[in-house]
Amino acid sequence: MGEVRRHKRHSEGALHIGASTPRADAYAKVTGAEKFAADYYSSDMVWAGVKRGAAPHGVIKGIFTDEACKAPGVIAVLTHRDIRGSNRQGVVRKDQPVLADKKVRHCGDAVALVLAEDRETLLRALDLIRLDLEALPGVFDVEEALKDGAPLVHEDNAGGNTLLEAHIQTGDGLTAFERCDEVIEGRFETPWQEHAYLETEVGWAQQQNDGKVVIVASTQTPFRDRAEVAEAIGLDLEQVRVIAPYTGGAFGGKDGITVQTLLALAALHSNGRPVKMWWEREESFIAGTKRHPTRLYYRLGAKGDGVLHALAARLYFDTGPYDHLGGVVMTLALEHAGGAYRIPHALLDAWCVYTNNPIGGAFRAFGVTQVTAAMEQMMDMLAARLDMDPLELRLKNALTRGEKTCVGVTLTGSTGLVECLERVERHPLRTERYAWKAAAGPFKRRGVGIAALMHAAGYGTVVPDYANAKIELTPEGKIRIYCGVVDMGQGNASANAQIAGSILNQNMDSMELVLPDTDRTLPSGSASASRCTYTFGNALIGAAEILKNRILQKAADLLMAPSTDDLTLAPGKVVNRATGAQIPLSRLGRLMAESERTAISHFRAPVAKDRLDVTDELRLHGLGHAVISYGAHLAAVEVDEITGAVEVVSYLSATDCGRALNPQIYEQQIHGGICQGLGFALFEDFRVEQGTVKSPDLATYIIPTAPDTPNMESLPVELHEPTGPFGLKGVGEIATNGPAPAVANALADACGIRMFRLPMTPERVLLALRGRETR
Amino acid sequence: MKIDFRLNGAAIQVDCAADRRVIDLLREDLGLTGAKESCGAGECGSCAILVDGEGKLSCLMLAAQLEGREITTVEGLASEGRLHPLQEAFVEKGAVQCGFCTPGAVMASLDLLRRNPNPARAEIREGLAGNLCRCTGYQKIIDAVEAASKIMQRRERP
Amino acid sequence: MTQVLLPRALDELWDFLEEDPNTAVYSGGTDLLVNLRGGRINPSRLACLERIEEIRGVRDAGAAVFIGAATTHTHLLENSLVSSEFPVLTKAIRVLASPAIRNMGTIGGNIVNASPAGDTLPPLYALDAEVEIVSRKEAKRMPVSDFIVGPGRVRLGANEIVKGVWIRKAPEFNVRHFEKVGLRKSQACAVASLAAALSLSEGGKIERARLAWGSVGPTVVRSAEVEEALLGRELEIQMLAEVARLVERAVSPIDDVRASAQYRRIVAGRLLLRLAESGCKN
Ligand SMILES: Cc1cc2nc3c(=O)[nH]c(=O)nc-3n(C[C@H](O)[C@H](O)[C@H](O)COP(=O)(O)OP(=O)(O)OC[C@H]3O[C@@H](n4cnc5c(N)ncnc54)[C@H](O)[C@@H]3O)c2cc1C
Ligand code: FES
Ligand code: FES
Repeated sequence: MGEVRRHKRHSEGALHIGASTPRADAYAKVTGAEKFAADYYSSDMVWAGVKRGAAPHGVIKGIFTDEACKAPGVIAVLTHRDIRGSNRQGVVRKDQPVLADKKVRHCGDAVALVLAEDRETLLRALDLIRLDLEALPGVFDVEEALKDGAPLVHEDNAGGNTLLEAHIQTGDGLTAFERCDEVIEGRFETPWQEHAYLETEVGWAQQQNDGKVVIVASTQTPFRDRAEVAEAIGLDLEQVRVIAPYTGGAFGGKDGITVQTLLALAALHSNGRPVKMWWEREESFIAGTKRHPTRLYYRLGAKGDGVLHALAARLYFDTGPYDHLGGVVMTLALEHAGGAYRIPHALLDAWCVYTNNPIGGAFRAFGVTQVTAAMEQMMDMLAARLDMDPLELRLKNALTRGEKTCVGVTLTGSTGLVECLERVERHPLRTERYAWKAAAGPFKRRGVGIAALMHAAGYGTVVPDYANAKIELTPEGKIRIYCGVVDMGQGNASANAQIAGSILNQNMDSMELVLPDTDRTLPSGSASASRCTYTFGNALIGAAEILKNRILQKAADLLMAPSTDDLTLAPGKVVNRATGAQIPLSRLGRLMAESERTAISHFRAPVAKDRLDVTDELRLHGLGHAVISYGAHLAAVEVDEITGAVEVVSYLSATDCGRALNPQIYEQQIHGGICQGLGFALFEDFRVEQGTVKSPDLATYIIPTAPDTPNMESLPVELHEPTGPFGLKGVGEIATNGPAPAVANALADACGIRMFRLPMTPERVLLALRGRETR
Repeated sequence: MKIDFRLNGAAIQVDCAADRRVIDLLREDLGLTGAKESCGAGECGSCAILVDGEGKLSCLMLAAQLEGREITTVEGLASEGRLHPLQEAFVEKGAVQCGFCTPGAVMASLDLLRRNPNPARAEIREGLAGNLCRCTGYQKIIDAVEAASKIMQRRERP
Repeated sequence: MTQVLLPRALDELWDFLEEDPNTAVYSGGTDLLVNLRGGRINPSRLACLERIEEIRGVRDAGAAVFIGAATTHTHLLENSLVSSEFPVLTKAIRVLASPAIRNMGTIGGNIVNASPAGDTLPPLYALDAEVEIVSRKEAKRMPVSDFIVGPGRVRLGANEIVKGVWIRKAPEFNVRHFEKVGLRKSQACAVASLAAALSLSEGGKIERARLAWGSVGPTVVRSAEVEEALLGRELEIQMLAEVARLVERAVSPIDDVRASAQYRRIVAGRLLLRLAESGCKN
């Protein structure tokens, strides 16, 4: 538990910034040795599982557990009555019960918790629990939910079914449309997107003899989890320890509580035995969070020469019955609603709405994916109306450093949208597009589409976005990094090794990583918001520099050098360049006191300085970011006229990523984001009818497989970001935003149809093609 | 029920319920947690193992079926601390992100390369069609299998 | 705990089946174990057929070919007799599920599972295949279209299993086409599929036609009307588009989570258009 990760192989030279060093975690993962939360088993282990309400909305009249309790092999059956704490969890607003008490508000609500000797017994016992639910009318549509008289999801919520609403006006707002030569309108719908990480929600927990509950969980947020768990079930903060191994994928779906509280509760009732909970795929689909579905009304006005003039948008987000991160997601979407364009006048309205649908939550790119899908299609529709080239239209309106977005945020950091667009403009996929399109085979139509992207990183203006890095020279002479931010697969732990290794001039063999553990590493915020390497990396640079100075000073003392001037770190040792004398790090490690060979550094991310005319609540939800990455994407698609299937043949992206610390990891992030974005664009249709999930598994919820994925080219546009570690900006999310609009624009280019509803399934495409024929 | 088979090169006898899923036998009883379970229904490929050299899904096999078979899991590939060329290529080419799909993808690739030692990229994609990966967008996995096939062929040839 | 039996010969299997009539047989388990997990079936014992040599492999029987029920899809894909005599079957299996499922799943399982989306079924219907059913006492054959009576429903009595399928060689067909429409390119359940075997004359006229559609009705659909309408015509788009109208009337699809009935109906017809490409080549 909480072991230190050491790394075999790659003994070649010292680590350095800008090298495609293979990831530190790859070796253990490729041999099957890496222990994910899912891989924790112990003898004497108890299996815990959840009985869910399975109704979208209802009053709980009774929970009958007697039969289940009596079943052989059942250790305990718990309900809300067994919870001593607040029984509420949530990141911003604590509105979600751990175990439902008065009502169930969606099909996945947990009602009872069962502990059993093995999984078969557990499943049988869950079946024996009977619920008496009085059905209530549900509310399943965002706009219906806002009407007077709609059933209320939370009777005590002051705003009715409104979780959060926001209105931003800049310039002259709506009146500016009167001065536009062209006005384009569109109504867009985007579906839920399921994270579908390969490792479903899972954890392991045990109460120690001293009463402390240790939780090993697949989570992005160990420190926040600890506080939530403690409060919800009535423990002191010190009585909870959360350990976060590498996750088997997270993408925002583990940004907050999944199994953690339930596991801790179970551990309090298992007589000290370890407890494991692992959601099956179907349970993960029903109970886990999803990308918020949205309905987006857009109106975009421009002058006859293509200069954007006014934007109006109404954005509706369906958060299901709980906030989770709904308000924050909506706010980030709002900030990106007008894209990276100069639009002097805007009126933006947004609502995040409670319903009895599945829970909306964080998903890679956090609301920006949805609004970009709409805005970037609007740009192409406008280009078509003006008979302008879509890329030229974007270049004409692209923001540059020092300018303001349509919500009034000034772009103070490096701003590379123009450069990204120019890279795409010069690429053969664009320059040779006419010839490529003309070469389509029988029953095929080809098209090329682009999209321009921006994505802000970090928590925004109010919530402190900080990290605390700790680094140690061990008595064995290794460099140990105490990672405060979870590595959910994106490689930030490796990036940490690379950052510290390059400063201390050590190779990968000398690096040790301690993964996040609330008892051992320091609080550094969530693994989310494209902030992991940016924020923690900056803190780590500070800590590594301190350690470097201490090591050199100690070495100078021991080598009796007059100063540290001639001393330099080399892999495994310190060398005196003047005398050739050397001293191994292992010796220094043994001779230095723990306080001397350990260094800590704090970093707090900069925030936007603009004084925006918005509510404090909106600021609290994050409005106004300072560090932003940019991108331009191009999709080349082939449409089959017989079936309506859209194949993405090639995909190009150019990303302003600041500096790519490790180009291989940079590409990994871009590829992964594009692939998820393509899923969102073409395949992924999480179906819910009247609150009931109709695509409950991977046989019905379709994600891209290897043959569905095109060859991707991912050009880095390395514009130095002055505030970033070695000039880096986070790129964990931005790529997810491009595929939906780029593919939709390519589809329009190929056959003149525009899809206002995602995903663009063969059925929708074929029916649209037929509709166009008959028109 | 007593079941005799070979596991990663060594003869083994287990005593377990005949209908125990092979994935559970491996992970829970034998401590081999390399094979992962992501769906339990054949959709994801993360539980793939080799049975007499063929790629199969351990979530859709019952323990009794192992009788007399030769089983290889991802733990059985590296020998004396040296990675199998395919594993080596996954590491070098950046095919591993969260890594949860990795053991299954490696096993499926072995099945593919045994049948088709020199696959084209499109054939590699087809060969991995049953292995869902949510992190990589597959491209670097394809790169890795392509690179490994070249190395493995060179080693085959005297 | 459910007992799992591993008979090595049919005689051993009959003993097991007679001991306990609630014994379910399976081969690859790629349907059965998924159903077991979903709680849709509850057999008292399981008998795995994968080690019964008599029902595995491909045998050339002169005018026809016998394929043992427990032959895996991978085996069929790699079998040269199958790919030379029945390329339409090979084409279908190439897009069936994923490599690992093809290594496990069998043609017998696909037939008895009798899903309207079973990918070997349209080719087997188009090839007029016959299913051989055996019990301890008797062996009989019937056309696959008689054997399958509805989704998941087949004419199989107690203590009977499918031994294999017989397919008559039909060298006269010179166009052999299979296309599956799914929601993604691979590992996709068919939303509609078409298997076609046609003989074209030297002059490009259709002399014989057998077509079968998957996933657009409770069982695979064949239509005498459609097949007749093709006779004597050339494979060109206008003609195929006309016949597509007949197809739309011949099929009886339903709405489900994967696609609407409307889409399935339209696509079932439009899949014919692809044959125009074969026409050009010929
Ligand atoms: C992820 C996944 C994807 C799939 N994709 C596809 C696809 O794309 N196309 C497709 O067609 N299918 C697909 N399938 C379904 C399945 O793989 C095929 O139907 C396969 O051919 C079944 O063969 P099996 O040997 O595994 O059947 P089993 O599961 O062993 O048996 C299936 C049924 O047939 C019975 N049975 C089996 N053999 C006999 C016999 N000889 N005599 C009498 N009864 C018998 C069993 O009792 C059971 O009811 C998929 C399945 C999965 C899990
Ligand atoms: S767990 Fe076996 S295929 Fe998904
Ligand atoms: S690397 Fe995460 S699922 Fe493949």
